[in-house]
Amino acid sequence: MTAALEVRALGRRFGELEVLKQVDLTVQAGEIHALLGPNGAGKTTLLRILAGLCDATQGEIFIQGARSGTIGYREWRKLFSMVPSGERTSYQRLSGYENLVFFGRLYGLSRVAAKRRSGECLEMVGLADAASQRVGLYSQGMQKRLAIARALLVDPPLLLIDEATQSLDPEGARLTRVLAKEAATRGAAVLWTTQRLDEIRGFADVVTILRRGEVRFRGTVAELSGTVITRTFLIQVGAVGEMAPGELLEGVADITVAGDGHYRLSLKEGASLGSALAALVEGGVEVVACREEISDVEEAFVRITGAS
Amino acid sequence: MIDAHRPAVVEEIAKLGAFFRRNLLIAVSYRMAFIADWFNLVLQLVIFSLVGRLVDPTRIPEVGGRAISYVEFVTVGIALMSFVQIALSRVLSAIRQEQLIGTLDFLLTTPIAPTTLQIGLVVYDLFYVPIRTGIFLALASLFFDISLSPSGLLPALVIMLAFIPFVWGLGMISSAATLTFRRGTGVVGLITAAFTILSAAYIPLEALPGWARAFASVNPFTLALTSAREVLLGGAGWAPVGRAVSVFLPLAAVSVAIGVFSFRLAMRRERRLGTLGGY
Repeated sequence: MTAALEVRALGRRFGELEVLKQVDLTVQAGEIHALLGPNGAGKTTLLRILAGLCDATQGEIFIQGARSGTIGYREWRKLFSMVPSGERTSYQRLSGYENLVFFGRLYGLSRVAAKRRSGECLEMVGLADAASQRVGLYSQGMQKRLAIARALLVDPPLLLIDEATQSLDPEGARLTRVLAKEAATRGAAVLWTTQRLDEIRGFADVVTILRRGEVRFRGTVAELSGTVITRTFLIQVGAVGEMAPGELLEGVADITVAGDGHYRLSLKEGASLGSALAALVEGGVEVVACREEISDVEEAFVRITGAS
Repeated sequence: MIDAHRPAVVEEIAKLGAFFRRNLLIAVSYRMAFIADWFNLVLQLVIFSLVGRLVDPTRIPEVGGRAISYVEFVTVGIALMSFVQIALSRVLSAIRQEQLIGTLDFLLTTPIAPTTLQIGLVVYDLFYVPIRTGIFLALASLFFDISLSPSGLLPALVIMLAFIPFVWGLGMISSAATLTFRRGTGVVGLITAAFTILSAAYIPLEALPGWARAFASVNPFTLALTSAREVLLGGAGWAPVGRAVSVFLPLAAVSVAIGVFSFRLAMRRERRLGTLGGY
């Protein structure tokens, strides 16, 4: 089956600085592919190259089997739509609705279709009430939602989404993920760049981690989590026995007070969470709750990218 | 969802309609700028009519055998040069504006042909500027005792329409320079001012020094001005139109060709450097 997006040995250099090195990436139709990486990893450059805003210095790009450079820019741009990372990418003097109608027509919709679709998309992103309001009066989050609505005007085979949830509140971020998921269900391939690690679990099908322009990990979220064993937990304690928790966990874990009945527990090499909790319970400590202090995804990301 | 059956040309023309509407809505949203533009135009006319009182009427050349006042002479100059100025500056500032407000990048991710983008950015002005010029001339003839020949209006429009693509081509060359060097407005303003002074827009050719007269005689702006004066003030009918059109059309072909080429070259350079959309 032809991949919706295939990137082969892509490279980009800005003078002496090599921002992308031999990047390979494949996104299938209906797949949500998260592109993770710290600042300066090359995520946005990669998306700009895919969108034809910047040339690659080496490598090949295929969207639905069509190779970049072998078809005209106009045809190429019909194959994707994009949610750019900046907030101000719409006309501030026009209403949200007028912005969408304008861009809808640039995408080739008739005026009637553009109007109808604009209304539908504004409804989808929860901006129906602000449709006639000037974009200049929108909050950052609303402008981001508008950018998402604009990308959904047509149903292209590929959606390039750059830091879509960056300035959104939790509900806005959740809605955006739902919309991306729906687009994927309709058959679109979604390339989703983010720095919010918490959002990829249960959302992304495949994850690629970039660091300094190089692919450092490619796999599913489960495979990413599997690269580390979580070692730091936050436990909530009800009653404490005669011995202090620190003494009970001698040789198993280090424990420090986190305040208000909470302790931070760091497992020692070779120790398991079960053995630590068992030691506490046997010592008369009532363990009310236990959760990861940082998620396994975050821990894996930190380990792979070397970020702190 | 996209109408795949529409021929590409029809689709691109429809996009020009979208650009026109967008620019119209944006222009209407800046009410004060619109009013200031007209105020500035009328103010220029008032100033020149006062200056006209100081000018010896015998130093103003006859047009079509008719003695004209300085206000009449300069009104056509103001009309045409403000038309040139707007045409040039709008083409130039359109790209810059998109860069500054952050919409250029996104525009360039939509499936539009480069030519559609270039025309689209100024399509509103291509309609607005001739209308503005016409209204200005009508107001001037009403309030400043300027005797325009009604039979010259249509020939003047044809001269302007033949002149637009030439100016537009210059605008595209300027916008390519803006895309490349980011700040080209000052240079373009300087060049426009030089062309204006050396074109008999405000000062009769006869009053210019020899070297300036030599430049003005080959300046296409001079031809546009003298032709417009002949038809509007001298009642020359269609006679000057043929000569003007025969000069402007090849000039327009060259300036548009260079404009399109230089714009595409600038875009290619920006993509290569990865600096498109930066400012």
